[in-house]
Amino acid sequence: MNIGDLIFATCMGGFFLCMVLYVFFGQITVRKLRKNPATKDKLGLELTSGWDILNVAGALSSPEWLRDRFSTSRFSGLTANYQLLYENTSKFDRVLARVFWFFYVVPVVLMLIFIVLNSFGLFE
Amino acid sequence: MPVARELTNLSLSYGGDNVLALAEITAKLKDYNIGLMGASTSVYANRMGGFAGSVKDYQSVLMEYRQAVASNSPMKAAIKQKAHTAFQKMQIQFNNELKVVSGQVKARRGTPLTNANRATNIARSSRNVVKLNVANQIQASNLVKLSKQAKFLGNGLAVIDFGGRVGNIHNSYQAGGNWERDMFIESSSFAASAIAGSLAVKAGLAILMVATPVGWVGLVVGGLAVAGAAATTLIVFNNAVKNKSGDLYDDIMKGISAL
Repeated sequence: MNIGDLIFATCMGGFFLCMVLYVFFGQITVRKLRKNPATKDKLGLELTSGWDILNVAGALSSPEWLRDRFSTSRFSGLTANYQLLYENTSKFDRVLARVFWFFYVVPVVLMLIFIVLNSFGLFE
Repeated sequence: MPVARELTNLSLSYGGDNVLALAEITAKLKDYNIGLMGASTSVYANRMGGFAGSVKDYQSVLMEYRQAVASNSPMKAAIKQKAHTAFQKMQIQFNNELKVVSGQVKARRGTPLTNANRATNIARSSRNVVKLNVANQIQASNLVKLSKQAKFLGNGLAVIDFGGRVGNIHNSYQAGGNWERDMFIESSSFAASAIAGSLAVKAGLAILMVATPVGWVGLVVGGLAVAGAAATTLIVFNNAVKNKSGDLYDDIMKGISAL
């Protein structure tokens, strides 16, 4: 098993964790928000079922400057409303959102780097 | 056949040319074996583009009619008929969008978007032409509500993609191949490309929001760019994972049997 295989296996493990966390985060936090009349229409664009889970996690994990940019955009309805989410979630929810977001973004980026390096034949 | 039922539902609710677009995309899905998100956004962008185009057509015919009335052209009646035809076409193709867009307007006599007679009457009289600016009315409405349709379509495409993958596994099983290994490959590449594709769509939408393209053309072009980037990511991830995950499966199996 060379270093490339190791990176690939790590990514796949990350994807698996991401899927598990997706379900947990969806069931624990987003389900609550979907039922809450204050937040249920503010969870952003839903391209497929469960897309709102990504919106909520993204909104709770994005840095402040990016949130400010988003909120001034004409298309701010595409993302979840951070202010409302903050008011309607617990500390645990927000930590869970960030953990899920980490396992959503990092393995994809790592895999992307792996694919690029692999295409140069670095792991042959 | 759940896939067939899903397809029937989709075609029933999307009407003529959209089903063709869908069929084309399904064919592409089969070619590249790509997953869901990118394709669903491209259909979404297509449909939104078509809707905007049809509203623009309607609006330009209305303006033409207004011109004809003002200059008392003999073509008046014909152009009025043209406006009604454009209205009907828009009604048939984009009924759902129109309902969403004009849902908030509570005018008793209706608006140019809901009533062609009203539109031609406004065009004939010298009243406020701003009311005829139907395209703006749509632009101002809540885009996000339309995503309910995109969701339906996205789910449908996921079913189609997953159906194809299950078919591959079943073929391998029937041919007496190592179907557990194929199942690992198919499911891991589905998961990886869905995760990567959805992230690409999210990143693309974020860029779209920060860049705020101007007008419908910008939005549609931006949407297509997002869809293209997402589809590329899907294909790349799907291929990479399909190539590698067989080895990973073998390694895991070796590891387990060594225990």
